[in-house]
Parts: sequence; C-alpha cells; structure tokens
Amino acid sequence: MFLAVGWFHFSLPDFQYAFLSILLEGIPFLLGGALLSGILEEFLPQSLMTRLLPSNPQLAVVVSGLLGVIFPVCECGIVPVVRRLMRKGLPVSCGVTYMLAAPIVNPLVILSTLAAFRGQAAWEMASLRFVLGLSVAILAGWVASFFPPFLILRSGVISSGEDHHHHAESRSLLDKLQNMASVAIRDFLDVAVYFVIGAAAASLFSTAVNQEIILPLAAHPTLAIASLMGLASVLSVCSTTDAFIAATLTTFPMAAKLAFLVFGPMMDFKLLFLYGAAFSRRFILFLAVGLFVVIGLLCWRISALNLGW
Amino acid sequence: MNNRAFSFPVRSCRDLLLLLLWGLSILWLAYHGTLALYLHPSLQPYTLGAGFCLLVLAGFAARDIINKGIKREGFHQSGHDHSCCSSKEDHVHANADVHAHGHDHHLDHEGHGHSHGETSGIASLTFKTLLLFLPLVMIHAGNGTKFSISTVQNRGVVQDLANLPAAKPGNNASVAPVSTAPIATSASSSSSTSGSPQPMPIQVIDLLYAVQMPSYREEFEGKEVEMTGQFVPLTTGNPNGDRFQAIRLFITCCAADAKPVGVTVRYHGSLNVPEMGWIKITGIPTFPIEGGRRAAVLEARKVEECAAPDEPFVY
Repeated sequence: MFLAVGWFHFSLPDFQYAFLSILLEGIPFLLGGALLSGILEEFLPQSLMTRLLPSNPQLAVVVSGLLGVIFPVCECGIVPVVRRLMRKGLPVSCGVTYMLAAPIVNPLVILSTLAAFRGQAAWEMASLRFVLGLSVAILAGWVASFFPPFLILRSGVISSGEDHHHHAESRSLLDKLQNMASVAIRDFLDVAVYFVIGAAAASLFSTAVNQEIILPLAAHPTLAIASLMGLASVLSVCSTTDAFIAATLTTFPMAAKLAFLVFGPMMDFKLLFLYGAAFSRRFILFLAVGLFVVIGLLCWRISALNLGW
Repeated sequence: MNNRAFSFPVRSCRDLLLLLLWGLSILWLAYHGTLALYLHPSLQPYTLGAGFCLLVLAGFAARDIINKGIKREGFHQSGHDHSCCSSKEDHVHANADVHAHGHDHHLDHEGHGHSHGETSGIASLTFKTLLLFLPLVMIHAGNGTKFSISTVQNRGVVQDLANLPAAKPGNNASVAPVSTAPIATSASSSSSTSGSPQPMPIQVIDLLYAVQMPSYREEFEGKEVEMTGQFVPLTTGNPNGDRFQAIRLFITCCAADAKPVGVTVRYHGSLNVPEMGWIKITGIPTFPIEGGRRAAVLEARKVEECAAPDEPFVY
C-alpha cells in the first residue's frame, strides 16, 4: 500500500517497519517500568514515603520531587499512587511535585534517555532532562501550596474515608510475587496500549512526512520547541520510552527535544484524562498552560545558551 | 449476583494470551535473526530478555486464573454471596474509579455480572485488545523489514557527517561479499583485474569521513576500493544521467531512527537495479569541490547487484 500526496508519502511496509522497531526497542523499558511498579506496590509500604518528608513545607516539596528517584513510578501509574498518598496525609503540593517529577527523575527513564540519545549528547540530554523536570515539578508544587486543597483536588479525593488494607502480612512469598506480577502485567498492558498508539503516530510521522516540509519549523527555535511539546502531548508515550521517539526527530534542535522529554511525561493527552481522577478540571487546565509556558521558556533559554549539541 | 455466564475471566485470559504471544513473537524474531533487522545490537539482549520475562509473567497470569477459578468454585459451593471476589485482595470500593493498588475498577469486577458501565467497558477492552494484537499481526503477516525509497527521500540522504555525530570511521565494516551477480556491462574501463591487487573494502561512511579528514582521504585517493550500498537514483543534480547514490542506513538505536548516509557514484555504464537494491561498486574515490564544498564521488569501474549483507545497517 502506497499513498503519495505532495509532502505525504505513506508506505505501509515502511510504516510497519518503523512501528515494530519502536515497539521492540521500547518493550524492555516498558516492561521494566511495570515490574518496578509491581515491586513497589507489593514490597514497599506507602507510609514510608510520608515518613521521609521534612516538616518544612517548601523543603518537603523539594524532597517529594526527589522521591521519584527512590520510588520510580511512570506517569501512567502515578495518579492512583499520588491519590492514595494524599489520602494518607501527603500534602497536596508534595503530591503534585511527586506526580510531575517521578516519571522524569526515575532511574529507568535516565537510563533509557542515555540509551536513546547515544551519540547525540546523551549525558547532557539526560542531565538536563532530570534537572529541568525536577525544577519545574518543584515550582509547580510551590505554586500549588498557595492554594487550598479544595481548589486543586477533585471533590471527595481526600475525604472519601476509604482505607482498606488488603494485604495480609501472613501471605506466602509466592502470593506476594503473584500480586507483584499481577500489578506488573496490568500496568504493562495498560501502558502498552498508549505506547502502541504513540509508536504508530511516531512511525507515521517519521516515514510518511517529508521532513523537508517541517524543516522551517525545526529551524525556528521557538516554533520548534512549541511544536515538539504539542507532539509530545499528541503521542502520549510513556516516559520510559519517549526518548527513543525523540531521538528519531533528527531535524529538530536538542532544546526542542528536551522540551518534548520534559513536557510529555508531565502533561500529555492521556494524562489530561488520568489527572481528572484526582484533580479538579480547573487545576488541570491551569497546570497544562503553566507547564507549557514555563517549560517552553526554559528550553528557549537553554537553546540560546549555545551548548554546542 | 451469581451469573455464571459472566464468570469467565475474559480480561485475565486476554492478558495471558497477549503475554504469551508477545513473548513468543520476540523469541521467534530472535531465533530467526530478524531482531537484528529492527534493533541496534546493543539493545537486542534487552528485548530478548523482555521476551523471556513476558513468558514468566504469562506463567503468573495462568496461575492467577487457576487460583481465581479454584476460589470462585469454593465460594459457589459454600453459597458465599461474594462470588464476584476471587480473593481478599479483589474486594473493591463501590465508588472508586481506580483502586489504590492500581487495580482497574472494571477489572476487579471482571466476570461478576455487574451492569454498570459494562457496555463501555467491553468496548474499551475490545479496542485496547485489538490495538495490542496489531503488532503481532504485523510481525507475522506484515512485510515490513526494510525501508523503501519513499522513506529515504523523506528523510534525506546525509552526505555531511556533521549531521551524524555518532559515526566512527571504519566502524562495523560489513561489506557484502557473497553471491554477487554482474548486472551491468563494463563501461569506463574494460581492463582486467587479474594480477592487480584486490580492491580495498570500505564503507560509505569511510568516504564521508575522508571528505572531512585530509589524512584519512590520503588512504583512499588513487586506490581502487570496493563498497556495498543500496541504489538510490539521483533525480536532481544529474544533468548527464551518469550519477546515482549508494547509501547505507545508519542507526543509533533502532530502524525507526535510521538515517540514510550516502555518497555519489558516477558510472557510465547501463544499470538495471531496483531502487534500494543492494549493489557492490568497484571504483576509485575522488574528492572534488562541488557546489563550493568538498564531496566524495566514487568513479565506478564496475557495479554489481549483490545480496543484502548480514548487517544491513551501519552503527
């Protein structure tokens, strides 16, 4: 099957080839994230996170951002975790920061970014992604701390009174492994759906569109950054694998790819709906616009630094 | 509600099937050597490991189905009203969209005969299932294991190594030496090669490095070389019709990020090679200034169609 319309030349075999390549490359990382999620779910008590936070609210926000390094959860699994943590007493501002930072600062994402950008200033990209993602998440948490929780959260999120403890301590190791595996399977297949869609969109973009058409966009620093943030939202790819897609956007500047890698895990289309399980629509809209502007401005400044990448 | 018609764990069985098929498909690709057509060698072990891991998870999924079946039978036999709950962990909140343990609400009600959101749940599950089966269909029924000229033209052929930062000269010099079949008549030179030294095997990327590095260039100038690449006709900048490009796909991680790198070849003979067909070129590299910049042009003495090399990519 071949379709050619001006700048658009679609070849089904080419699409299939790129699509399967992205999937086969991303599956180990997707699976690794799901397994980590299962391990955390089964073997790490949630109360440990709240015990780790300092009493100073601003400092607590900073620490909650760094918790993502120790408690890595990808963006698809983060919402139920944050909601549960907030029910157990985690400040809303800390919850916002943890939710935004964890998908970016977790070790698996750092490793996948390094792998994907091998030969394309991998260390610089991974470091900047970590620092920028953490900084923006902390900023969002600090801003959230100025607002009362009822303006931020969906009604009933904290005061639902639900607190079931299902995990019997006397369960055997095999049963614990079973639960861990069940969570991992569920997370893997749930996220894989979005990954399949994202990989398909990326494959279509990378094989069918004549990249010379978008070169003017890629050459303009501001437009390139904005357009890749928009693309990150549309693709809605898991943060453990999005670097592999960003790395294929070879015509775009690195600052635009950085914006793609920071904005995507914080606010893509699927998250726009997932966040609704815990946060108010008004807050989500505010968060989306704020993140777009702040990340865009920061990446624009980074592109002006002429880092030589 | 003890509706036995809904007691079949549809989603659990779907998960088991998907894990099995995905895992086996990855192992199948690895066994047939096809994984190398998709991935950089350094990433292939991860994907292979993921294939095994998926099969292990499939084992857990099967165990879960069996356990749930046993417990459900037990509940039914004891007349327990909560036959819907396969285990203590499967109790769900009446008003929770998403369970605190990451359990999907409709998932936990799987097979319970609950009517709320059932239709939309089934539609969503069906859609997601079809999406997850799509790659499997493509792996086993698709024909996507190489790019056509369409993608190469869309991405543009790199002739300046500044656009290819990870390239290393002489790296992974995989020249296809097998089953060559002359397809063109000798043109610019008809001299025999008997008694003369064997042509130096080089890669497309070597010539691009030579363009940038004078010391490297001296290694090739005036010497006969042999180079393998894919045939891409030149539709512009070819007034005499004697030029084409020989390209290789340079990949960083996987085929999706493949970037065509190529050099111009000048050949006065007739050619009957399909676009993107593999060719072996014997000739002498030159590095003229064209369009105000130095370029690599391989003056071909002989062009032969050949089989694709074992390693079709340059890394």
